[in-house]
Amino acid sequence: MLWYKAWLETRTRFLVAVAGITGLCSYVVYELGQDVTPRSTVDHYYSTLHSGHRLIAIMWLVAMSLLMMGGLVQEKAAGVSSFTLALPVSRARLMGVRIWAGLTQAAALAVLPWIVISAVFSVAGWPISLFQVRFYLLLLAGGGIVFAGVAVLISSLVDGQYTAPMLVLGVLLFCANAPRSLNSVNPLVFMSGRDYMARPDMLAGPIPWARLAANVGAAALFMFGSVKVVQNRDF
Amino acid sequence: MTCSPAIETAGLCKSYGSTRAVRDLNLTVQPNRITAFLGLNGAGKSTTIKMLLGMIKPTAGSGTVLGRRIDNPADSVAIRRAVAFVSEDKRLYSYMTVEQIVRFTSGFFPGWRSDLAAALMRKYELPPGRKVRHLSKGMRTKLDLLLAVSRHPALLILDEPSEGLDPLGIEQLLETLVTECADGTTVFFSSHQIAEVERISDQVCVIHKGGLVMDASLDALRQSWRQVDIVFASIPDQADFQMVGVERIRTRGRQMSIVASRNVEAIVERARDFQASTVDVTLVGLREIFLQTVEEN
Repeated sequence: MLWYKAWLETRTRFLVAVAGITGLCSYVVYELGQDVTPRSTVDHYYSTLHSGHRLIAIMWLVAMSLLMMGGLVQEKAAGVSSFTLALPVSRARLMGVRIWAGLTQAAALAVLPWIVISAVFSVAGWPISLFQVRFYLLLLAGGGIVFAGVAVLISSLVDGQYTAPMLVLGVLLFCANAPRSLNSVNPLVFMSGRDYMARPDMLAGPIPWARLAANVGAAALFMFGSVKVVQNRDF
Repeated sequence: MTCSPAIETAGLCKSYGSTRAVRDLNLTVQPNRITAFLGLNGAGKSTTIKMLLGMIKPTAGSGTVLGRRIDNPADSVAIRRAVAFVSEDKRLYSYMTVEQIVRFTSGFFPGWRSDLAAALMRKYELPPGRKVRHLSKGMRTKLDLLLAVSRHPALLILDEPSEGLDPLGIEQLLETLVTECADGTTVFFSSHQIAEVERISDQVCVIHKGGLVMDASLDALRQSWRQVDIVFASIPDQADFQMVGVERIRTRGRQMSIVASRNVEAIVERARDFQASTVDVTLVGLREIFLQTVEEN
């Protein structure tokens, strides 16, 4: 039933995000595909995929910070937390379902645009590199999960429906303008894939599993912290 | 019928910084009764209720609800499985329709009474397809009450349940509470509407500045509290009437008005000793008792 609640609470935001991301990315990728010159076709192909990834990443981050809105702290601000907390469910389970529902939607938002892009490529008669797509997906998920963790933690700390997403966007802006010395721990740099390009716009080499695992670990810490905050908070 | 208290607290405290919202609260609510929880704004009623339901952690002291400890997370979940709560806000998920929130809530309670929910939906004229955000406060209160009683709770806790209801809604609410109690549900509710409390309550608890200042059955209060209006030829000193049970003395001209919680016969006798020309003994309403108790403390 908590999944049902999570779905009803976020479905409008989710469906708008799905429509926005898939529609815009497909259109832009298709438009880029029309402009084959002056670079070689192969270069342009990779460039188009990379452009699609950048677009998906930006929109995904905005959508994710909106999807992670809500939770008990925002419910308290809206006066609804008493109803939720009177249900025979532990706070950890409430948080767990909320986090998993958010992550599931975030995963869907990452995968769906690539399915549509692949379909666009297929319709246009272009081949698609599954390796590139999978690599981009892992970069998106591996970097994005850190921001998802940050979003959950912030929404467990601050009241106000729009305060949390605004703060998440603030963290994103900070990461976008962070000094180069922080590149190795900057999830936004990881998402961009710039460290894994064999040549402009083409990903190559082994998938950075260690860095990906470190990001997942950091996100898990943020999420665990948010559960602890909510468990110890008075409502 | 069970004899162990439905609610029991011992030295329960809650502080916010230097502010003590609840202090050394020793509260006992007997099962299968309707107990009213009275207090002025900020007296600590909502804080106490939230501590009972695990929403707020006590600073000190202990408490049990239906025999389970309120400060144990696992017990707290078990408590909420058997307790229904109607909060002061009456805010529900605005993005759900009436039908969706009924379906959602029913999923948590195996003993959910669908027939009762359907009957109450008709009685309260709640439109199933309407979003909660489009309901009036009165309708939200009725919906909240429906969600509470349909789960067939052993204990029903309500925080200012009649707030926002019209007279018909209040009648329906009181009727529901009495019916629930008759069906074996213990009812514990806070209210500012003393007339309602007086109509349905078996027991009255008064909290003031975070502490319990009265815990008595309504029948006992009605039997013991009296107002004695005395007219004298020459008014005596108030100190002559400072006797056991005297809660308040007021004088106006040759008339003295005494509110007493007991010992009325002795007061009347004392009045006669002072050559009272008339002595009238009348019943005291709960409103007067409440105000007197709060003033005294």
